Amino acid sequence: MKNGKLLAVDNLTKVFTKGQGLVKSKIEAVSKVSFDLELDRPEILTLAGESGSGKSTVAKLILGFETPTTGSILYKGEPIANLKGKKDFMRAVQPIFQNPFETFNPLKKVQSYFHETERNFTQTSPGQYPLTEKSLQLVGLTSAEIKDKYPSEMSGGQLQRASIARALITNPSLLIADEPVSMIDASLRMSVVNLFKTLKEEAQVSIIYITHDLATAYYISDRIAIMLRGQFVELGSVKKVLDNPLHPYSQLLKTSVPAPDPRDRWTEDIALSDLETKEYTRKGCKFAGRCPKVFDLCHEQEPDHHAVDDRLVKCHLYA
Amino acid sequence: MAILEVNNLKAYYVTHTFGRSSTVRAVDGVSFQVNKNEIYGIAGESGCGKSTLLKAISGLVKPPLQILDGEVGYNFDDERLDILSLRDDRKRRKLRGARISLIPQGSMSVLNPVRRVRKAFEDVIYAHLDVSEKEFEELVSRHLLALGLDWTVMHTYPHQLSGGMRQRITIALSTILRPDIIFADEPTTALDVVVQRGVVQLIKKIKEEQQNTLIMVTHDMSIHANLCDRLAVMYAGEIVEEGDVQSIFSAPKHPYTTMLLDSLPKVGDSSARVSAPGAPPSLVDPPEGCRFHPRCPHVMERCRVESPVLNGLGNGHRVACFLQEGGK
Repeated sequence: MKNGKLLAVDNLTKVFTKGQGLVKSKIEAVSKVSFDLELDRPEILTLAGESGSGKSTVAKLILGFETPTTGSILYKGEPIANLKGKKDFMRAVQPIFQNPFETFNPLKKVQSYFHETERNFTQTSPGQYPLTEKSLQLVGLTSAEIKDKYPSEMSGGQLQRASIARALITNPSLLIADEPVSMIDASLRMSVVNLFKTLKEEAQVSIIYITHDLATAYYISDRIAIMLRGQFVELGSVKKVLDNPLHPYSQLLKTSVPAPDPRDRWTEDIALSDLETKEYTRKGCKFAGRCPKVFDLCHEQEPDHHAVDDRLVKCHLYA
Repeated sequence: MAILEVNNLKAYYVTHTFGRSSTVRAVDGVSFQVNKNEIYGIAGESGCGKSTLLKAISGLVKPPLQILDGEVGYNFDDERLDILSLRDDRKRRKLRGARISLIPQGSMSVLNPVRRVRKAFEDVIYAHLDVSEKEFEELVSRHLLALGLDWTVMHTYPHQLSGGMRQRITIALSTILRPDIIFADEPTTALDVVVQRGVVQLIKKIKEEQQNTLIMVTHDMSIHANLCDRLAVMYAGEIVEEGDVQSIFSAPKHPYTTMLLDSLPKVGDSSARVSAPGAPPSLVDPPEGCRFHPRCPHVMERCRVESPVLNGLGNGHRVACFLQEGGK
């Protein structure tokens, strides 16, 4: 049993089986993923990667929506499997979803979600919702703003902040935010991103921030894990990984983020990716098909995680 | 030479329910010109009217959308057309696909899920060209090859393809007839960064090869920075700033543009960024005066009552803001 860890993920693997009988095929959506979050030091950990890299599956595994094939997830030293469905765990680990318009039922008033959560997790007297007010304040809303409103009457930014406020009612210690800003307009996006920063600093909440947007990841997170086809290819402090990426895939990812500056345009052409399934089932390194620095060993043997410059890199180049 | 001229276009959504009518002023008095062979960007957040503008200028006007005023003129090499005055729908249909074409956002809903990709190509080509099956196959395979796609995609169903692949197929479909003008509506949204870069690369390549004009509509300022020659920024149904991409990014003149650019985070820069206060207004009942005034940090008395018009500042830069008029 590990002490002093808020969350300890060890060798986590999730295999999905597709088809039946003779045409059965297996996809390793998450493959041998390990990371920790400290108990006394809140941090924002970003899981970054393209769609199909397994980042949302990691989130679902931590939340207990899926069962791992192998490996373990310990929350405060206790396996998630034992905690699933228990109120204490549900109180402490709260999700935030991608599309706020789908998070809320369009036919229910927004406030009903707050009241329901508060009734479920705390002993309040009927009609009294002190925590709703408090958590709304944290995200910069007031209960007057959401009173008697349906989701369609609020903007995406407001609604996403409401969704975060709902998660805060239970006073969680870990938030799992799956692409929380990708559906929000640019001029409102930073209000949500800044909120995560404040939550970490003031409410001492650790956050697993799942995104494909490296710019916001750089802006808010402490550590980043770059995922490719279910594996962590690089894990380390966000400044180090994004200022000077070591894994060839991280390098490609970084240069593919368009810069908001017309003087800094893409000049080189890149190789377009193969069909996704090909990469999942590839032997050796999953990136070998697109890697500019590929050599023979990459096709044969899967690389290990090598510790280089305070981070882990899964690449033969650093052996 | 301007290949597309839009003058004072007003496109509203008008609905009548139970005797009450409501009007959404999605495009309200928009004028601009697009030169031949350039990449013209239209930026703006969701609900600012950029997609409605695209519908109106490509003549896809169906109730509840109505054109109340304005004209949309195309200057092709051999003829000049006002698409809104074309009464015959067949003529419009001939125009679309062959001379003007749209690259839609490549979501699952663009390609018919129960038909193979080949059928989509057949629809497009047989509607405009009188070709035999052999010529059809030749034409398509040549085009697919140029776009780095394999002939085998023709036999697939859309669900068998990844998002990036589907987007490349919609691009192939929209450009196979070598149109004079391509409209691209958020073609890279919902794609991963690496795939997005591949798609931008592809669009650029086609534009260079076919020598056509591209109008790029997206909310993503970084894509505009990467691709466009000139850029128009829309807010609440109006163009608030227009100019060449370099000058808009280096010296934005409208407070909304400034705010939009300031809120963009960058890799390698973690200095604090803030969002603008408030949210874009509802277009059913937009604010009086300048539509941006409730969120503007430089708001003056005048802004609350008068609407600024799009004025030229020289070098083709136009801004709709009183700050630029007040002898600055």
